[in-house]
Amino acid sequence: MTPLKLPPQILRLVLLTVTILGSYGVMRHMLRPASFGEYGHYRGAALEEIAARPPTYAGMKACNECHSDIVQKVAKFEHKTVACEACHGPGREHAKDPDVKNAKLNDRLCLRCHEVDEARPAWLKQIAEKSHFRGDRCVDCHVPHQPKETP
Amino acid sequence: MKFTLSRRQLLVGFGGVASWLMAQPIAQAAKTAVKKVFVSTQAPKGYDPFKHKWLMCIDADRCIGCGACVEACKTENHVPSESMYFRTWIERYIIKKPAAGSGDARGEVLVDSPNGGRGGFPPSMVPRTDILKAFFVPKLCNLCEKSPCTQACPVGATFDSPDGAVLVDPNYCIGCGFCIQACPYGCRFLNPETHTADKCSLCYHRITRELKPACVEVCPGQARIFGDLKNPVENDPLQAFIRKNKVQALKPNLGTDPRVLYANIDKEVR
Repeated sequence: MTPLKLPPQILRLVLLTVTILGSYGVMRHMLRPASFGEYGHYRGAALEEIAARPPTYAGMKACNECHSDIVQKVAKFEHKTVACEACHGPGREHAKDPDVKNAKLNDRLCLRCHEVDEARPAWLKQIAEKSHFRGDRCVDCHVPHQPKETP
Repeated sequence: MKFTLSRRQLLVGFGGVASWLMAQPIAQAAKTAVKKVFVSTQAPKGYDPFKHKWLMCIDADRCIGCGACVEACKTENHVPSESMYFRTWIERYIIKKPAAGSGDARGEVLVDSPNGGRGGFPPSMVPRTDILKAFFVPKLCNLCEKSPCTQACPVGATFDSPDGAVLVDPNYCIGCGFCIQACPYGCRFLNPETHTADKCSLCYHRITRELKPACVEVCPGQARIFGDLKNPVENDPLQAFIRKNKVQALKPNLGTDPRVLYANIDKEVR
């Protein structure tokens, strides 16, 4: 009985196929990130990486830790829906280190919301800056934390 | 010169390649172990994306067009300050009165968004008497359930995370811009600093730390209502909002099934 012998042209084809498949396997192993396909057609580790960035805005909870008296006071008046950081700016640095102060506020900030505009809803109190009585600053007549009170 | 290779050299070469390949996984494991010890990622612990499902509702009646959300978003997410890069922005819709005798219900619709509404809107050029009605609409990534951007990405760098956010993996994005063209809401841009696609991530680094997204946090009119459908809190504002209002998605005809729902908007809003 003669041993089974592949014709050389078939043998070459088989070798070539094995080489191509093998190199594909090696390249896939080397180039594909480890966590790819963990949850879907993407890098699973990306979720953690995106979440790793530190926040800039601290959130009301952090403000409430030290300034609970002011937070409670504001909650009783018209500005109750306005978060601290909406006016005072990002406060994470300040929350971490109280010596880092937030930026001083100016009248532009009041007008950003309260300047009259046709597109603003009617429930919002609006003023026309030109015709509205003005002292030097908004806070001369209005108390931002308790808008109904006068200083 | 003739290049010859003895059997010995060939075998040594093959052995070398084989052992290098076998050493790869071990080296990788060692690298990650070292990274875990020495590089603190500050990643929030204990957040399971499968246990949350986020939804954002927007009440156009509560939007006052102050631009606090745009400002906060730019600061929080390090969005370039130029006026063409936004993850969220505000549009002002002005619907003019129809011409007398035209028989139309409404006239021309003007939409503007100077600097994305950052820092408030300048007064409109349209005289007050010509305006039928006007309103503001905040815009952001619509967080589609069937997101066209994800389908367009050729490398799997943008994806729908299990908790409902549509995210971009900046380390894997090749910056081809296909997703930017695919988004029907115009919510994506090519970040000029990283040269990768950028978009609203629903402040993923905040919601995984039990904070609200920056835009929701600072919105003075509470026009943005954000919540977790899988873990409703007591007196959940999101549930109450959906119960009380008729909410709708933008461009529902595209079948994208957005997770951002709007209330009190006109048919002109797209």
